[in-house]
Formats: sequence, C-alpha cells, structure tokens
Amino acid sequence: MNTTAEAPPKEPSEKDIITGLQEKVSASRLSLFLQCRLKFFFRYVLRLKKPKTPSLHVGNSVHAVLKSWNKARWLLKPLTLKQAHDAYTEAWSDTSEGKVFWEHGEENDDKTTGWRLIDTYLRESHVPADLKPDAVEVPVEADLVNHGLPRLIGILDLVQRRQIIDYKTAATTPNADKVAHSHEIQTTSYSILYRHNTGHQEAGIQLHHLVKLKNPKVVITTMPPMSQQQETRLFRQMEAYLTGIRHEQFVPSPGMHCASCEFQNECRKWH
Amino acid sequence: MAIKLSANYSKKLGLPQYSSHSFAASVEVELSDISQVESELQRLYQLLQQSVDQEIQNVGFIPQTNGSNTNGNGHANNNGRTYQINGSSRQHSNGQHQQQPKAVSDAWNCTDGQKGFILRIVNENPSITKQVAEDLSQQLFGIGVKMLNKLQASQLIEDLLVKAGKPAPRQTRWQQHQPTNHQAA
Repeated sequence: MNTTAEAPPKEPSEKDIITGLQEKVSASRLSLFLQCRLKFFFRYVLRLKKPKTPSLHVGNSVHAVLKSWNKARWLLKPLTLKQAHDAYTEAWSDTSEGKVFWEHGEENDDKTTGWRLIDTYLRESHVPADLKPDAVEVPVEADLVNHGLPRLIGILDLVQRRQIIDYKTAATTPNADKVAHSHEIQTTSYSILYRHNTGHQEAGIQLHHLVKLKNPKVVITTMPPMSQQQETRLFRQMEAYLTGIRHEQFVPSPGMHCASCEFQNECRKWH
Repeated sequence: MAIKLSANYSKKLGLPQYSSHSFAASVEVELSDISQVESELQRLYQLLQQSVDQEIQNVGFIPQTNGSNTNGNGHANNNGRTYQINGSSRQHSNGQHQQQPKAVSDAWNCTDGQKGFILRIVNENPSITKQVAEDLSQQLFGIGVKMLNKLQASQLIEDLLVKAGKPAPRQTRWQQHQPTNHQAA
C-alpha cells in the first residue's frame, strides 16, 4: 500500500464557494452581479466553463504585449517593434486559458487586427517610453472590513505619475461620458485599491481604448480622482452584493445584455 | 547642458512634554532633459518622504514626566499629542513613553504578509538572494525593499516570482470576461 499517496484535492462545495465570494470581490465580479445575478451564479458559483471567445483572445494577447512593453521600458530595455511582434505571436499561441473556436479564416483576420491595434498604440506614443511606471499589471487588495465589506481585489494595468491607466480593446468608438459612467465600478475600485496600497490619492484615471476599426485608433478617456460620492456609491453596491450573495438571490435580469450572454441555454431552463 | 534639480524634505513631529524632533534630507540630481523634471520630482518626493518617515520613527530620548519636567504650574506635562510609531497610533501620556520604538532595521512599510512572502521567496529560491531582491527594488523604485509601500511590494513579489520561474498562478482578469460591447478589460 502506498501510504504516501495524497488524496486528490477536494472540490469546494457550493456553500464553500458562496462563503468565499462573500470574503473577496473584484470590480468585474461586482459588475456582473449587478448586471445579472443568474449569470454571476453560472460563472462564479457553478463555475460553468464556456469556450473562450475570439474577441477575448484578441484582448488577452494585446494586453500581454502592452504588459511586456511597459515592463521592458521600466527596466530601461525598451522593446523594438519586432520584439513586440514576437511577444504578440507568443501570446497569441497561448491556449492555457482555453481553446478558441474560430470560424473559417477568422483567426488570421483577428490576429492581424490585434497586431494593428498594438502597432497603432505604440507608434502614436500614448505613454511616453521614457517615463518610468509606478506599477505594471500589479495585483492589489484592500481590506474593507472596517466598512463591513468584503476584501476588494484587482489588478492595475499601469500606474504612471500617479495616473491609473486601464487598457481596453473595443469594437466601437467609446463615448467619453458613457464610458466614465459604465466603467465607474471598475475605476472607483481601482482608486480605492491605489489609495489603500500607497497612502496617496491618485492623480486621475485613464481608460485607453484600442478600437478595432478598419483604421485602428486609440481613444483615451481621462477622469479626475475618485470623489467621495463615488466611493459611497461603490460601498453601497458592495453592500447590495453582500446581501444578495448571503441570501443567494440569483435571479435573471433579462435585457439587451442577454444577446451576447454565453449562458442563454442555461438561463432559459431556470425557474 | 545638464540641468540640476535639488529637492529637500523635512518633517517636524510633536512629542510629549512640549518637545519635538525633526529631520530633513536633501538630494541633488542632474537631468539631461527638462521634460524629466516633473517625473523626477515625483520620484524624489516619494523617496525623500519615505526615507524621512522611516528614520523619524526612531524618537530617541523623550523627556520624563516626573517632577523635574513640569509646565510651570507644578503639573506633569502632557501635551496630548498623538503620533505614529511603526504604524500604530499611541497616545503619549504620563509614564507611557518608556516603550522603546521598534528598531528601524526591523521596520517594513508593506504588510506583514508581504514581508513574509518576500522572505519566503528569498529562502526557497537559491537564485533569489536578498541582494537580488534589494537590487530589483532599487532598479524599479529607487528605494530598498523595506521601504516599499504595499503597491510596490506587490509588484516586487510578482517580479521576483517571475525571476524565480514561478509566476504567480492566478486567473487573469480577462478570463471568461465578455462585456456586451466586446471589450476585453
């Protein structure tokens, strides 16, 4: 008998998962919960796996290159365009987060689209290469127990001159006012994380949208530091999250967002 | 033409018995381009402030609150000031200031958890010596490991793990994330 053999790791029960979700929350989890609780349940409680979408794969690959580019210039070894392209090729072939199901000929088109986004962004020098970052894709957390709230977690893409910068790839040109509102949970979360981890107020927040048009373009939305009102809004949203999870209120919220939901089949069976 | 940039930072803190102590640090650097002024000032301010804060925590001698130190009315002095020693707020009143401040060499600015993690990476990876960690900290932030704030310590941990060939396993933000407008954030 092999007495040294270890038992396989035990899958957490649904109760364990729900307990864990009450202890930590990220901006994306909170946003999803507030958008549709049933979708949140499928993704984070039941953990139903779905194929990775092509647009997500493009976004991941672009992010990976921008991370490498920022890290390299921080270490005073800036990437050439060729090195950036090599990094992109490597990121594109990474299927560790799941395979993508492409339509015929779609992969090459999307791969080209992703590279053109990076090429445009780097050539237009939206982030001066000679400025040292304060942080590059750094995971951070903030203990909000004094507010009776879960621990807030997140990853900051780039911090430079106390500006929090978040990268996004988008299919359409964003509208500045709408973007500031629709991403408020994320930007407010990042401000709180930054302040908790540095003891300083951020200089501002920027969303860098890399837009997948025929002629790619970069749209930068600049926002001021988080206001007291925004912090209160987020805390109240987190309270609603906590209450909803505690009472397991996982109900569907039908709407426009259902069009791109990967859980439509599961949703229809819910009653 | 080289541009000289000098920065200084001073801080004065109140202590019990109407006393105070202060500390200042100055530094002068040369820049090759005037466009570097803003970023360099930001870096120097952060560096000087953290350095001064680190050292000023050692309050050294503090006057005793016995009969020899009075405020002129025959009462022991207590100016009621509160100040921070190693992150904990302490009200200094009669007889409470005997406690020795924590040795500066033991003080880390990051959390205990981050400190433990950094030390564990150093202990468990022969290629990551304390000097390697210190050098990386200097290279990235221009300050030593113990002076890193929580954000900087998180970054150092990430980079040390990569150097050790053990990047932190975690679910990326982009996994399974598909907003309606096809953004990948």
